[in-house]
Amino acid sequence: MFGQVLISGLMTGGVYALISMGLTLIFGVTRLVNFAHGELVMLSMFAGYLLSTIFGIDPYVGVIPVALGAFLVGVLLERGIIHPMLNASHAAQIFVTMGLSITLMNLALIVWGTDYRSVRTVYDGMVVYLGPWALGVPRIVTFVVAVLMMVGLLLFLSRTLLGKAITAVSQDRMAAQLMGIDIYKMYTIAFAIGVMFVGVAGCLLTPTYATFPMVGQYFGLTSYVVVVLGGMGNVVGALFGGLLIGVVESLSGYFIAPALKEAIYFVIFVVVLVIRPSGLFGIVGAEEMGIK
Amino acid sequence: MLLEAKNVTRNFGGLAAVKDVSFAVEQGEIVGLIGPNGAGKTTLFNVLTGFLPPSQGEVRFEGRRISGMLPDRICQLGIARTFQVVKPFGNMTVLQNVMVGSFLREGSESGARRAAEQVLEMVGLAHRRDVLARNLTIADRKRLEAARALATRPKLLLLDEVMAGLNPSEVNDVLGLLREIRARGTTLLLIEHIMAAVMAISDRILVLHHGSLIAQGTPRQVAEAPAVIDAYLGERYLIA
Amino acid sequence: MKRSLSDNSGWRWVTCHSSLCWSLAGIMAIALLPKMITIPYYLHVLILVMLYGGLASAWNLMGGYTGLLSLGHAAFFGLGAYSSTLLYLRLGVSPWAGMAAGAIVAAVAGVITCYPSLRLKGPFFALASLAFAEVLRIISVFWVDLTAGSNGLTIRYRPGFEYMMWPGKEMWVYLLLAYLLLVVGTVWKFQRSKLGFYAVALREDDGAARMLGIDTTKVKLYVTMASASFTAIGGSLYAQYMSYIDPYAVFDPAQSVQFALIGICGGMGTVFGPVFGAFIMVPLSEFLQGTLGGSVRGLNMTAYGIMLMVVVMTLPQGVYPALMERYRQWRNARAKAAAAALAKEGQVDVA
Repeated sequence: MFGQVLISGLMTGGVYALISMGLTLIFGVTRLVNFAHGELVMLSMFAGYLLSTIFGIDPYVGVIPVALGAFLVGVLLERGIIHPMLNASHAAQIFVTMGLSITLMNLALIVWGTDYRSVRTVYDGMVVYLGPWALGVPRIVTFVVAVLMMVGLLLFLSRTLLGKAITAVSQDRMAAQLMGIDIYKMYTIAFAIGVMFVGVAGCLLTPTYATFPMVGQYFGLTSYVVVVLGGMGNVVGALFGGLLIGVVESLSGYFIAPALKEAIYFVIFVVVLVIRPSGLFGIVGAEEMGIK
Repeated sequence: MLLEAKNVTRNFGGLAAVKDVSFAVEQGEIVGLIGPNGAGKTTLFNVLTGFLPPSQGEVRFEGRRISGMLPDRICQLGIARTFQVVKPFGNMTVLQNVMVGSFLREGSESGARRAAEQVLEMVGLAHRRDVLARNLTIADRKRLEAARALATRPKLLLLDEVMAGLNPSEVNDVLGLLREIRARGTTLLLIEHIMAAVMAISDRILVLHHGSLIAQGTPRQVAEAPAVIDAYLGERYLIA
Repeated sequence: MKRSLSDNSGWRWVTCHSSLCWSLAGIMAIALLPKMITIPYYLHVLILVMLYGGLASAWNLMGGYTGLLSLGHAAFFGLGAYSSTLLYLRLGVSPWAGMAAGAIVAAVAGVITCYPSLRLKGPFFALASLAFAEVLRIISVFWVDLTAGSNGLTIRYRPGFEYMMWPGKEMWVYLLLAYLLLVVGTVWKFQRSKLGFYAVALREDDGAARMLGIDTTKVKLYVTMASASFTAIGGSLYAQYMSYIDPYAVFDPAQSVQFALIGICGGMGTVFGPVFGAFIMVPLSEFLQGTLGGSVRGLNMTAYGIMLMVVVMTLPQGVYPALMERYRQWRNARAKAAAAALAKEGQVDVA
C-alpha cells in the first residue's frame, strides 16, 4: 500500500514539476515572480478543453497548438506587461502580476462560470501495471513529458547559442549586455518558453483534473512551493521539487488527512524559506534578490 | 586608544581578504588607509563595523570588544561609516535622510530635525534640504552620505572613498570639511585613492596590500618605504 | 511651517495646515451623514469604506512604509474575527474584550511570522505571508470542533452596547469612524516618529539603515505587531457587523489582496492614500456587484484586477499622491502667474 501511495505521489509530482518548470525558468532569467502563473495554467486547461469539445481534438494532440498559442501569449504578456515593469520596485512587480492573476481568473469566471468541466478521453480509466502497482496512463504521459521537456530545455540552454545567451542573462544581466546580448529579447523569449511549458502542462492536465476558473489558484500556489523547494531558477530543481511535493502530498493525504494535504506542504514551504531559502538546488542568496 | 585591531583576519573560502592586520587609531587623529584595489580595505571596514565577523583576531573600541557585534550596535557605541557605493534613502529628502541619522541621539522629531539641519549646514547641503535623495548629483550624494553618518554623532567616522569621482575643487572642499569634522571632535579613518589628498590630510597612513599591512607611519615615512613604492605608489612619491 | 516644493513625489508627509482642515471637515461630514441619509444601503457602503480604509492603512504600515509586502494579512483579519466571535459564543465574553484579545492574538502571530521572514525580501516575503494565511484557512476549515469549519459561525442578534450590536447602522458608522481615525491617526503619528523614519530607512536600504544604528529586527517586529493588531480589530468589527463569519470570508487570499490593493492604488507609504483608495475602490466594487454582480459573477473583481494593473503601471505611487502632485503644480502655476501679472504692472520686482 505504501508503495502505491508513493508511486501515485511521484506521478502527481510529475504534473507539478511540469507546471513549475515554466515558473522557475521565468524567475531565473527575469528575476520576477509571476503571480499569475496559476491562471496561465487554468487558461491552458480551458484551451485544451475547448479544443477537445469544440473541435474534438484529443488533448494529447491539442498540446501542439496550445503550446504554440501559449508561446505567443507569453510574448504578448512580456512585451505588454512585464517589460515595462522590469526596473520597477518590488511592490510594483508583485502587484502587476497579481492584478493580472485577478483579472484572468475573474474574466474566466465571467465567461465560463463556476461549473466544473471535464474532458473525456479514451485513456481515462486506462491503467498500466508495474508489478503490484497501478499507474494511470494520463499520469504516466504527464510524467514522461515532464522529464522529456526538462531534458529538452536543459539541452537548449546549454547547447544552443540562444540558450546560452539566455543562461548568460540569468547569471549576470550587465555582463551579458556588455557582451552584446539583447537582454530584453532574451527576457521575452525566456518568458514565452516558460508560458509555453505551462501551455503544455495545462493541456495535458485536462484528462485528469477538472477545469474551472479557480483551479489556477490551487496549481499556482503549489508551483510556488515546488519552485522554492527546488530552487528558484533551477529547472532540474523544479523536477525534483515537484516529485517531492507530489510524494509528500500523497503520503500526508493517506496517513494524516486529505483535508490537510495542502497545509502540510505550506508548512514545508515556510520551513524551506526560513532554513534554506535558496532551495535544494538553487543559488544561495537568490531570495535576497541581489541581482538587478 | 580609540580603536584597536588585533590580528584581524577575514577569510572567504580559501582566500584571506584580510590577513593578520593589527593597528590602532588614537582619539583626534586622521588616519588614511591606502592600497591597491582588492587589497582588502573595504573588507577591513566591513569587519570593523560589524558587517562581517573576523575569522580570527578581534577589534576593540574604547577598550571594549566589538568584533562579533552587529552593525547597529556598533553604531550606537559611536562608530559610523560611509559606503564606497553610496546608499542614499532615495525616496526621502536630504533632510529626512540626515534625520534618520540624528534620530539615534535625539528622541523627538523636532530635535532630530534641528540636529539634522545643523549637520546639513556644516557639510554645505542646506540649500538642498527638500530635494529627494535620488535626484542628487554624485558629489552631493557623497556629502549626504557623510552628513548622515555625522548626524549619529560618532566618535569615530570611517569614510570609504568619499572623494572618488570628485573634481579637484570638490576634493578641496571635502578636505576642508574633514578638518572641520576633526576639529569638532570626531576621529577619522579614511580609505582613499587620491594620493595628494590622503597625504595632505592624514596624520598617519596605513598601507594594505593583498590583505596584509605592509607599512604604517607618517605620510613621509610611508611614501618613502620601498615596500609601498613597490606595491602601490610606483615611484618615489614626492610630498610637496 | 511652509515647505519648499521639490520635483517628483515620493515618500512625504503633508504637514501644512490645509490637510488638517480637510480632515476635520471630512470627519464632521461623515459624522453627520447618518442623520441625513436614510437609505441603509448607502450607510452600509460608508461603513465598508471606513473599515477597508482602516484595514488598508494597517497594511500600509507594513507594506507601504516598511517595505514588508504582505499578501497574507487575511491571517490577522481572520484571527481577530474568530477570536472575538469564539470568545463570545463559547465563553460569553463581551465582543469589546474579545476584540482586544483578538488584537493580542494577532500581535503574537505577527511576532511568530516575523522572525522566520527577516531575511526574505520582496516576492519571497509575500509568498511566505500568503502561505501562512493559507495554513490558517485550511486549519480553520478542518478544525470543525473549534470553528464549525465551513459552516461558519453566526452571532445571534442581541442589541446592546456590551454586545457590540445595534439596530440600524448609525452606531456602526460612528464606531467605524472611530476605528478609521484610530488607525489613520496612528499612521500619521508613526510616519513622523523615530520608528517611522527607521521603517522607511530600512525599506530603502537595509545595510545603510543598520549602519545608522537602526535595529532592523526590532523595527520590523514593532511594525508587524501594530499592523497585525489593527487588522485584527477590523476583523472583530467585521464579524460583529456581519454577524456571520466563515473561513472563506475572513481567511481568503482575496481579502489579503484587497487590503494591499486598496493601499497600493490609493497610495502606498502615505497617510491618506489608503483612505482615498478605499473611498474609490469600495463603492466601485459595491456598485459593480450591485448592478451586474448578481448576473455576472466576477465582474467587480475583474475591475479590481484591471485597476490594480493600470495603477501600478502608470501611477506607481498611487492615485492620491499623483493627484496631490497635480494640485501642487496647479497651485505653483497659479502663484507664478499671479506674480508675473503683478510684475507686469510694475508693482513687484520678480527676481
